[in-house]
Parts: sequence; C-alpha cells; structure tokens
Amino acid sequence: MKIILPDQEMRTLERSPGTVEALLRALGFNPLEVIVSRNGTLISETTSLMDDDEIRIIRIAHGG
Amino acid sequence: MTAVLYQPSTHRHLCATHLVSEVEQHVAETIAAKNLIQAGDRIAVALSGGKDSTALLVILSRILPAWPDTSLVAITVDEGIAGYRADTVRAAESLTKRLGTEHHLISFRDIIGEDLDALLKGRETRACTVCGIMRRKALAQAAQQTNASAIATGHNLDDEAQSVLMNALRGDLPRILRDTGAGQSGAFIPRIKPLSAIPEKEIASYLFVQDIFPVLPECPYTKYALRAEVRSMLSEIEYHQPGTMQNLILSKKTIETCCAETPVMEHLHRCRECGDPCSGDLCQFCQLRHSLGK
Repeated sequence: MKIILPDQEMRTLERSPGTVEALLRALGFNPLEVIVSRNGTLISETTSLMDDDEIRIIRIAHGG
Repeated sequence: MTAVLYQPSTHRHLCATHLVSEVEQHVAETIAAKNLIQAGDRIAVALSGGKDSTALLVILSRILPAWPDTSLVAITVDEGIAGYRADTVRAAESLTKRLGTEHHLISFRDIIGEDLDALLKGRETRACTVCGIMRRKALAQAAQQTNASAIATGHNLDDEAQSVLMNALRGDLPRILRDTGAGQSGAFIPRIKPLSAIPEKEIASYLFVQDIFPVLPECPYTKYALRAEVRSMLSEIEYHQPGTMQNLILSKKTIETCCAETPVMEHLHRCRECGDPCSGDLCQFCQLRHSLGK
C-alpha cells in the first residue's frame, strides 16, 4: 500500500491495517482533521483498504 | 456507490451526490431559520480564497435565487502576508471569474498604509488580534463601498465551537454573547454566518468531490494563536465524543437565554476619531493605530 502524507512524504505498508480510520490513527492523524482519497476519489474513514491501494492524506487547513 | 463521508454523530454514510445536496440544503435551512437573508439584500461574501469562503460563495451563488432581488459581491482582504496571501488572492480571483461574481479587493495598505508583516515585526504573538481588528475594518469599509446590506463570512461549526471554548477559557462572558449580526441594526453592517451549522470536514469534502478544493498553505501566523491549540484539543475530544462541538454551541444559546435580562452587553458609542460604532471612546481600529504609531 502506498501512502502520500500531507507533506508529500511517501510511505509504504505491506499490509492494509484495515479501515481508513485505523490507518489514520496508526499514523497519528485525527480523522476529523484530514480527508483521504484513494486513486483520486474521496473515501470515508469507515472504508476498508486493500493492500495495493494508493492513498493520499490531505490535511484540512484552518481558515477559510 | 462509495461513501465519501461518515457522520459520527448520526452514523450516516453519504455518497458524493447526497453530500453536496445535503450541505446546500442545510445552509439554505440555516439562512431561513435565522432569517439571515431577506429579499433585496446585497450580500458581500468575505472571500479569502480558502476552503470555507470558497464553499460559501459557491453555495450562495447556487441557492441565492430563492431570495428575490438579491445580489452577491465578493470581497477579498489582502493583509500582505508574504508566502501566503498572494496564492489565496489568486484563488479568489479565479473563483469569482468562474462564477461570474463581482469581486472587490481591499488591502491593509489601503487602510493603514502598511502590510501586516511590517506591522507585526516584533509583535508576532499579537498577529491574530491585530489582523482580526484590521480585517474587520477593511471588510466593513469595502462592504460600504460596494453598497452591501450584509457581510457573509465562512465561519463553520468547528469555528463557532472553538470560539465558545476560547472565550470561556479567557473568562470573557460578554464576548461569548457578542454577536455583531444581532441587535445592532443601523450601527454595523450585519454579519451572517450561513455555514455555522456545517462541520469543517463536510465543507472540505463538499469541495473535494466537486474538484474545487483549494490546496493552499495555512496562514504562517496560525501557530501563535490560542485557536490553534483549542482547535487541536477540541477535535480530539470530538473524535472520541461525537457531538461535543454541537453541545458547546448549544451552551452558548443557553447562556444567551439566561442573560437576556442581564445587561452584560456594552452600550454603543461612536469613535471620536473615525466615527465607527464602538463600546468606548475609541474604536478598536483607532486604538490599534495609536499603539502601532500610525
């Protein structure tokens, strides 16, 4: 699984940790402070992840 | 259909189509329930180019036709923050061009002769206070120049909950109650917050599924603000205890009801230098000007 973090750093995981929420918590993110896309499409934190997914985590910047 | 958003407080999963329609409907309901917009209103949208004000302008441009004889104008305030504001101003210009919305730009240089970075040298910890006072002045001035009858800001549910908690932490009860949109007609151009019932994550998701999510940096002065700490703390509590933010906002309404008969609000005067409404002899902007040696 390929993961692109908010600062554009890339990480790789051999196995999916389960759901988006599980991935985010394992990486130290609060699901309320980020949005997550898989192959360019937004997915919710209850979505199950596959081992070969490419995930992008985008931080929701404060201020608008 | 894939769920793009999960709502922890209601346990609902929304697809992109329903997310978009629900957010827009929720905003329309907020406007109707609080009587934020009337027929004939000219709404000035405070458009920073960031996600909340982008969503606000997009949504209002779609739902405003429901209120007859209304019009929109976008106002962007350029504080002159290096490495940050130029990008967001460009995003704001691009959006208004795409939507065909009238766009008015006003800068801190226009109102005080200097950019925020220069004003804050050695005073960085006061950044948000200084910026907030000047931005409100700039918005009010631009709203008057464009004949707006109301100023719409992109404050979302998270912002509102954070403000309640911040004012409680400061022990500032009058500030918890102060609502520049209410009870001051004729003195201020009313401010309305059509997004105040929408969680921040829903706003970000609403934009992303429509390919209009602005990927922009955060204000570099954010790190000096109490709000940054409160935001982080509150979102962690909300994650573990869904509904906490909503409860905070309800608590403000309860305090307002309890204090309805109690004079905690300051009486309004006119600033002796610029004539703007204020609670004392000098308005906050003129006090700030003096403290900055302007």
